[in-house]
Amino acid sequence: MDDANETLCIGIDLGTSRSSISGSNGERHVIDSYVGWPVDMVARKLIKKSVLIGREAVENRSMLDLRRPLERGIIKEGSGKDEEAVQEILRHLISLIGIKQKGKARPKVRAVVGVPAEAFRVSKQRLRRAMEGIADSVMLVSEPFAVAYGLEALLHALVIDIGAGTADFCVMQGRYPTEEDQRTLPNAGDSIDEQLASLIREHHPEAQFSIHMIREWKEKSSFVGEAKERVIVTVPIKGKATDLNITDEMRAACESILPPICETMTDLLSKVEPEYQEKVRNNVILAGGSSLIAGLADAIQKSLMELGGGRATVVKDPVFAGSDGGLAIARDASSSDWEKLSL
Amino acid sequence: METVEQTKLRLLREAVHDNLETVTGIKNKARARRKHPGHLWLWLPLLLLGLGYFELPTIGISRGNAPVPHLAQLPLKPSLSANDNALAEADVAVSTPRPLSRAVVPLSIKTIVIDPGHGGKQTGAISDSGVAEKEITLDVALRLHRLMEKAPFEVFLTREADQTIPLEKRVTFANSKNADLFVSIHVNWMEPRDIRGPETYFVGPSDDPATLNIASIENKESIYSFTDYRRILEKIYVDTRREESRRLAKSIQTELYQSLRQTNPAVENRGVKMAPFVVLVGTQMPAILVEISCLSNDDEVKLLTNADYREKIALALLKGIRSYANKLNGPDRKGS
Repeated sequence: MDDANETLCIGIDLGTSRSSISGSNGERHVIDSYVGWPVDMVARKLIKKSVLIGREAVENRSMLDLRRPLERGIIKEGSGKDEEAVQEILRHLISLIGIKQKGKARPKVRAVVGVPAEAFRVSKQRLRRAMEGIADSVMLVSEPFAVAYGLEALLHALVIDIGAGTADFCVMQGRYPTEEDQRTLPNAGDSIDEQLASLIREHHPEAQFSIHMIREWKEKSSFVGEAKERVIVTVPIKGKATDLNITDEMRAACESILPPICETMTDLLSKVEPEYQEKVRNNVILAGGSSLIAGLADAIQKSLMELGGGRATVVKDPVFAGSDGGLAIARDASSSDWEKLSL
Repeated sequence: METVEQTKLRLLREAVHDNLETVTGIKNKARARRKHPGHLWLWLPLLLLGLGYFELPTIGISRGNAPVPHLAQLPLKPSLSANDNALAEADVAVSTPRPLSRAVVPLSIKTIVIDPGHGGKQTGAISDSGVAEKEITLDVALRLHRLMEKAPFEVFLTREADQTIPLEKRVTFANSKNADLFVSIHVNWMEPRDIRGPETYFVGPSDDPATLNIASIENKESIYSFTDYRRILEKIYVDTRREESRRLAKSIQTELYQSLRQTNPAVENRGVKMAPFVVLVGTQMPAILVEISCLSNDDEVKLLTNADYREKIALALLKGIRSYANKLNGPDRKGS
């Protein structure tokens, strides 16, 4: 339902750690959800830009007022700067798929943006406001619903979208998910980072590291269950580069999200009509950046054994599953629907 | 049997409907502001009237019985003589302030700030079994927030997590959001320990030592100086919003007591009271502080640890707010 060249449909997964965009023009991009402004004139002269976004911002963070403006998948409360930062991210994502913000040739942009399953109405309203001037019409849907829609897993499926800020659950029962069908947990990638930092600090009090180093280690070597290889990292200790074996800490930190996730999954499954519970157990779908933790699907499948068995699978493209699903929704929605949702 | 395409179409319709519910309210307000910038002449008399409503009663102390100007008697176009008239009205009001009738200026509730009491380092009361006031207030506030998502209000929380937030910041937050109502949620601690049941406060002086004691405990986190506090206290005696606060307090207390009595027959109706809590004094809108239960009573603590009971409390608060808002937007409005 894409109106020729005049309209561009996009799906956006606005994540606490990473944000992705999928466009009906075939473009797909993912960026780190960081925005930084030069701290002073010197920094501005060195950087030669008024604002840096994504990886570029992280790499130049020493010269920037660096913001990670999303918290638990929504715009942080109480800061105009964070709202501005979210707009910078959105503008940047839009520009990456080739839309210029100015000029007559700009197509009409219809955007579907994923938000946490239990996002407050006020948070959604703030996000809509942030989209003003960036898109022409906006639809906000829960992130796991976007994933389910993109995969056409609309009936008898449980989608668990584990990002950095939140783990979002959604049981698909052939209807638009209600409050009872959805859950949001704060136990996700960021909580693993905090746990890992705390464990390393406890076991190696003299080791020096930053949260950015922790994130890099996790993205490279996260796992649950049996370790395939030791996790060795290099950190300065009293200024001297030293190798540390953080295998146990990594396992403990990653496994810390399992109990709440499994508990919530069990709770949601128990609320499904009894005759369909087995079907849903056999269709547990994992998405989001943190679903890439090695062994996570097996561990969840193991916990399903206690309920009579089931199957958990990770989607083919966890990073883009949300934005691709959003794009599918954007394409399928009718022009009259989009008119109602204009900004 | 529905095909996948049919299911998708139905889901999309539902998604659009859900989004429209989210949009309702905020969009209309924003558009209304943008579309009619040139009609200042129409709004100015109403603005003057509004100023009369909110400001004049705060100037004087006495509460006489001067006649209230009717909307129809006010000029529609501003002029020098109109301003003079307004000033003359102001002189009268200074000596004889009294709240305007609701019928003169129709009010409606659009924005509500919910304030979960205490938080972070400020635990509030703690039961013998270790249940902290800050946990209960946040839980009930979040439940209330969730329940209000479907209501036609824009709702803000002063805190959404276990954070330390000074009372002054809560006040500033509510004022900065231009809230129409402020609802502060607390849990009481009373001696003797057999006291139980909710009570609701609105701003005003109190001679009751027990009430003043509660106010001093809840105000502990304040950093207002004595002079600041005296200055804002002086305002409250003549503040028109106090009457609206009382109505709101009554509505909430009634709903809370009636609802809790069903599952908790021993609960007492401790009534609506006046007290100078900082969060009630500093806020600029009708504001109440509700003590939903007593952590000093073991039976109440047991009930508070039950999620269904907390949900019941949140629902009763919602009903109380709704009932107040409906009365404000309903029969009184028709009379204007």
